[in-house]
This record gives sequence, structure tokens and C-alpha cells, in this order.
Amino acid sequence: MESLTDASLQALSLLVSGDAALWKIISISFGVSLQAILFTTPVALLTAYALAHFQFPGRRTLISLFHTLLAVPAVVVGLTLYLLLSRSGPFGDLKLLFTQTAMVLGQIILSFPILVAMGHSALQSADHRVWETAHTLGATPLRAMFTVMHEVRYGLFAAVIAAFGRIIAEVGCSLMVGGNILNYTRNITTAIALETSKGQFAQGIALGMVLLLLALVLNYSLSTIRHRLAMQA
Amino acid sequence: MTSIPILLIRHVTKRFGERVLLSIEEFIVTEGSCTLITGDNGSGKTTLLKIAAGLVNPDQGKAVIGGVEIPWTKARPRIRRDVVYLHQDPYMLDTSVERNVAYGLRFTKESREKIYEKVADALRWARLDHLAHRNARWLSGGEKQRVALTRARILNPTVLALDEPTANMDQQSRISTYQLIDELRNEGMAIIVASHDQTGLAPIADRHMQLIGGKLVKVESVVRRGKIPIVTRFPR
Repeated sequence: MESLTDASLQALSLLVSGDAALWKIISISFGVSLQAILFTTPVALLTAYALAHFQFPGRRTLISLFHTLLAVPAVVVGLTLYLLLSRSGPFGDLKLLFTQTAMVLGQIILSFPILVAMGHSALQSADHRVWETAHTLGATPLRAMFTVMHEVRYGLFAAVIAAFGRIIAEVGCSLMVGGNILNYTRNITTAIALETSKGQFAQGIALGMVLLLLALVLNYSLSTIRHRLAMQA
Repeated sequence: MTSIPILLIRHVTKRFGERVLLSIEEFIVTEGSCTLITGDNGSGKTTLLKIAAGLVNPDQGKAVIGGVEIPWTKARPRIRRDVVYLHQDPYMLDTSVERNVAYGLRFTKESREKIYEKVADALRWARLDHLAHRNARWLSGGEKQRVALTRARILNPTVLALDEPTANMDQQSRISTYQLIDELRNEGMAIIVASHDQTGLAPIADRHMQLIGGKLVKVESVVRRGKIPIVTRFPR
């Protein structure tokens, strides 16, 4: 077994040399997660706004449900989606299992409750005068909603960053519904799992470095946002 | 002052659970008038202003538009178009003073150039032009109130509903605010002011109403008692 130092040096060399296989895996990972977050964000934020702004029967239950869903393991989402998309499942005819679309669907399911729960908290913290000010100055309910969202934008950005961090780092769901197919559904996390099981650590470490770098960037962004929020308060 | 009613609401009731927050038989605002509403905390002043501005729906109530009494739900869009409400502590959007003042105009069909031309004029009128690019959140209470009045004035509403416009202000800022209110009224805007500051606002008011426990118990016409003290306007 290669030493950790050797493996790390090889990993750096792979990253710097622009190894095609490695960068393909990275691009698949980012492509799938970005698609998922782009599809989820508008719907989730609208849901969060509805939960924060309107009173309707079952509202509290829904909020509790979204908070509960935050704790659902990715592998459980993967299993459920696998059963739904497998040939014998209700959506088997769509032939989506082991495709990037299935991975996107899985990540949508994972990111939705995070965006709703965190978005709801941010929107609920909005000053009630924002909505009244927007309305009295002639904004339609839709424009007033965008104004409220703009006023709590740092909280909403934090929700998007947290959701993106969660889905790009998840392995269970992508492995089960993506199938870890080279150059198609193999992403950073599933590749790390595979390379580690084969005892080839260099690529795994290189991919791990990318994830660590991403975590660093996301955390830095979150701390900047928190600082802005503190300034705003 | 003319006596054309521009806002007339009747049989208005607002409850919070069993508690009656507001119970008013008739509330009239006439063109170019200034109505002062006083009352203790919790007497219903803010509720009345928000209802008059169409921001809060009463449990019961009707409005008279064009001489015809119509249900509140039908009257509300019209009321919202005509009346602009200003909070006691006006909310400043997290952007520049200029963009705050331009906010309401974005919902009109005016071109961007025209909007910013109007905004520049309005800021000059309120002597706020030197603050145009400053974030409105960081202004003093008096400056925020002036931005809010300018942001409302630029929309040229028929009625301006002001909730405690001089609360927590120093004397200089209060006088500046009285003068702005008086100028707005002179421009033909009807003003409704809810305030504890009876002494300062009385010289501007044409009518004085008092709310006790949500009921309008005293309505009197007042003769404008004098002029606002002259001070350097809108200190920079």
C-alpha cells in the first residue's frame, strides 16, 4: 500500500496535470449538483415564503415535516428513489435509473427540505414592515415577495450554500441511483468510495482535496454572509 | 381648504379575538386637509391608519367611493392606490437613499431615466441630495423620516397616513418634519397624522380626533393656530 505522502503527491500531480478522467468526475459532480440546486431553489423558496407569509391549515405540520426531513439519510432517499425508478417500480418505464437525471432527482429531494427550512427561518425573520412598505408603495403581492426576499437575501444565500454543500458531498443517493458509471454518473464522492475500495488512494485523495477546497470556499462564503447578517442586525 | 371627501369609510370594526381594537361609525378625510388623531397607546390609532391605507382588512366596514357605498374588499385596491402609509419608524430598504425613493416608481410605466430625474428632483426638494448614494439603513431617525416622506411624495398619493412621524426625534428634526408635512398638505395632499405630539402638530392640523379604546370619542375642527417656528430647514 502506498504511503499517505506518496498518495498525496500523486493526487496533487493528477490535479495539476489536468488528468482528464479526474476532471470529468469533478465536472459530473458539479454539473449534477448545480442542476439540482437550480431546479430546487425557486420552488423551495416559494414554498418557504408561503409557509412564512400565509396562514393555512396544516402549516405548522408542514414546517415540522420539513425540519424532520433535514435528518433523513441520503441512502434512505437513494433507496426510495431506487425502488420507484427500478424496472419493477411505478416509474420504471421512464428508464431513469443509473442516469444523471436520477442523481439530479435524488439531490433535489435532499436539498428541498434544507432550502425550505432555512429559507423559512430567514423569511420569517424579515421585518413585518418590509411587506407593508412594499405594498403601500404600490408593489403587487409578487413584487412585494421579491422585495422581502431581497431584504433577507443573505439568509437565503446561506440556505442555498448549505443545500449545495450537502448534495455535492452526499454519496449514498448518487451511488444507488447513479450506479457509479465511469464518465457518466461517477461523481466525486462515488469515485472516492470506489478508488478507496480498490486500494488506489491517489485519485481518491485528489478528489477529496477538491471537496475540501469546496468546503473551505462554502464555509468562507457562509461566514461572510453571517458577518453581513450581523452587520444588518 | 375644500371639503370634498376623498376617503370615507363607515361602520369599521376590527377585533383581535374578543377584544375590539377599533369601532368607528364614520371616518372622513377631505381634500388637502390635515387630520390629527391622538390617543393613548393601544387606543387604535395605528390600526385605523393601516385600515385607512388598505394594509389591514377590518372585520366589518364599507367605503364610499364616488358617492357610492361599496364593500371593503372591492374598495381596498382603490384605497391602496390612493393612500400611502408611513410607519412610526419607517422601514428603509437595504439600499441607497436614491433607490429607496425610486422604489414605488419602479411599478409605474415611467422610463428609468425619467424615474431617476424625478428622484433627483425629489431629493433636492427634501434637501437629501447629498445623501443620495448613502445606504438608507445608516441614516438618523430624522433623515429616515424625510426619506420616507420623499419616497411617498414622489408617488403623488391623494392621502398620506403618517404614524407618529415625530416620535424619538430631536426638536430640530421635529420642526423639519412639521414643515415637510405642511408643504405636502399645501401641495394638495390630504394628511392623516396619528401622534402623541399634539402641541407640535396642532398648528398644521385642520381637524383633531381622539381615539379612546378604539372608539372615536371626540371630533373637533380646529382653527389653525399659528405658524411653525422658523428654523434652518433640513439641516445637512
